[in-house]
Amino acid sequence: MIDPGGVTQLELPGPAIEGEARRPAQSYWNESWERLRANRIGVFCGILILALALVAIAAPLFSQFVTHFDPARQHLSDNFRSPGQPYLLGTDELGRDTLTRLIYGGRVTLGVAFLTVALSLSLGTTVGLVAGYYGSWADDILMRVVDVFLAIPAIFLFILMSILFRPNAITLAAIIASVGWGGVARLVRGEVLSVKQRDFILATRSIGARDLRLIFRHLLPNVLPVLIVAASLGVGQIILIEAALDFLGLGIQPPTPSWGNMLTNAESYFFHSGWLVVFPGVTIFVTVLASNLFGNAVRDAFDPRLKTH
Amino acid sequence: MAQPLLEVHDLHTVFSTKNGNVKAVDGVSFEINPGETLGIVGESGSGKSVTALSVMRLQRPGKILSGEVLFQGRDLTKVSEGEMREIRGQDIAMIFQDPMTSMNPVFRTGWQVAEPVRLHHGIDKAKAMAVAVSMLGKVGIPTPETRARDYPHQFSGGMRQRAMIAMGLTTTPKVLIADEPTTALDVTIQAQILDLLRNVNRDFGTATILITHNLGVVAGMCERVMVMYAGRVVESGPTVDVFAHPKHPYTWSLLRSIPRLDAERHEPLKPIAGLPPDLIDLPSGCAFHPRCQFKVERCTRDTPVLNRVGETQLAACWVTQAGVELKGA
Repeated sequence: MIDPGGVTQLELPGPAIEGEARRPAQSYWNESWERLRANRIGVFCGILILALALVAIAAPLFSQFVTHFDPARQHLSDNFRSPGQPYLLGTDELGRDTLTRLIYGGRVTLGVAFLTVALSLSLGTTVGLVAGYYGSWADDILMRVVDVFLAIPAIFLFILMSILFRPNAITLAAIIASVGWGGVARLVRGEVLSVKQRDFILATRSIGARDLRLIFRHLLPNVLPVLIVAASLGVGQIILIEAALDFLGLGIQPPTPSWGNMLTNAESYFFHSGWLVVFPGVTIFVTVLASNLFGNAVRDAFDPRLKTH
Repeated sequence: MAQPLLEVHDLHTVFSTKNGNVKAVDGVSFEINPGETLGIVGESGSGKSVTALSVMRLQRPGKILSGEVLFQGRDLTKVSEGEMREIRGQDIAMIFQDPMTSMNPVFRTGWQVAEPVRLHHGIDKAKAMAVAVSMLGKVGIPTPETRARDYPHQFSGGMRQRAMIAMGLTTTPKVLIADEPTTALDVTIQAQILDLLRNVNRDFGTATILITHNLGVVAGMCERVMVMYAGRVVESGPTVDVFAHPKHPYTWSLLRSIPRLDAERHEPLKPIAGLPPDLIDLPSGCAFHPRCQFKVERCTRDTPVLNRVGETQLAACWVTQAGVELKGA
């Protein structure tokens, strides 16, 4: 006999379909964030850069409580000390503490790197958005300007600029950004050209939104992924450029320490006191490597199509 | 008779290309009254979408050369861009063909549905969101409070089209232009969306312009229909009459090219011979004459004008205007 009551006790396989069982709202940003978090190397490098930045920001605290030295203070009787106590990473030819100077140098180097990225992204993005959205003559004019900037040989510009103004962190960032923004503008313009073909741009115009709202509220978030990738990959490059300029004496001027200009003097004492070269060199190497790996991780997270392996 | 709500008069819109000017809209006139549904039919490239976009002045990069778009007596081709922005989304709203690309993927659906009210009524976010949620409910989205927090990609095509309709309605516009609103959807969803549009039309008293190439949709939805060919209106009139006694050979051929359930099985479909014309270099006389089986000598020479043929219809055809009945094998 079949018990008709048994039917009601039938259990359906799988979870009951209810409001709560629905997958929570997963935005593009959430998903990218999940992918980034799953990349261990990327997370490690991101944390490393963050730690370096925090140390640089907190430089005065470190010199006060950890190293107990002032970055500019000379101890002429203690010059060329090897790493040990009380100079953890040794001293240079004027008896200044290398660790303290590295920490202060990080302020300058990382500060210039982030400021440069911020400057070239804001200018490049604005130009790229306007050129891409309006097209026609606005596009022609702006993109020819970009071509002109991209055609200037960077190294001559740097030499000229460093003669004209003695660079400090802010002017140096402006000089490097003046070379970098053109590439960002091209990148953004290309992205805008493809995004603006989509119907939602027309739909947004059809509800009476003005151009500024369309460009900055609706287009910008759609090109943000390429910007984030460009920014995180750009930091490493800019640290290298900045270090090279400082090393050549075209960037940050002594006595302000930077990773690059610490190498300038150290070069003469390479065989005599190798650590003066090794410590800034390794710091630059590690920071640039971490930035690049983090940049790659960000790119893989935000644009899975580009993933190389 | 009172003035129509929206009256388009002899509208000409062109696109400049390297090879010459494309006359996308070539002297189109029509009018629509509150609560009415007008169908605009035609094949791809016949100018129906550009006509709609020109009404909203969104035809860029095309240019409106001449003509009037009178909305409540104001000529929209002459008002400033700022006034036009006020009208877009507030008085005239538009729904697009592909619900997959007509919503911005980076914003939550509720936010987007609320955007027109926020732009036009200047109310705060929370109130606008409440309007959006209630409108999402009205267009048949279940648990609108929850769904408003979802992103467009979490919606199905039909739900997105509902959301687009909700977005269009939040400001209770006087005219709703639906540009092929069901073309990208599957048939069962099409029926739901058309039902929804019909209810909107009835409940809100919105005048609806329905652009489609699907004659079945027109038959079910529209009181009046306007058939376009090569940027011109070739026939217009009450849907019943146009479908029963087409007065233009193009409409006539179009109706015969649809598969019918009641036709004999072995009877082949009758496609319209030839290709749509090149809009840069239109045939002389009537643009349809190279494909027309009724053409007379005059058709290759003079461009026919839209004139009354029969009781209720207008047609631009020398043959039917001369009183010839369209019949054929």
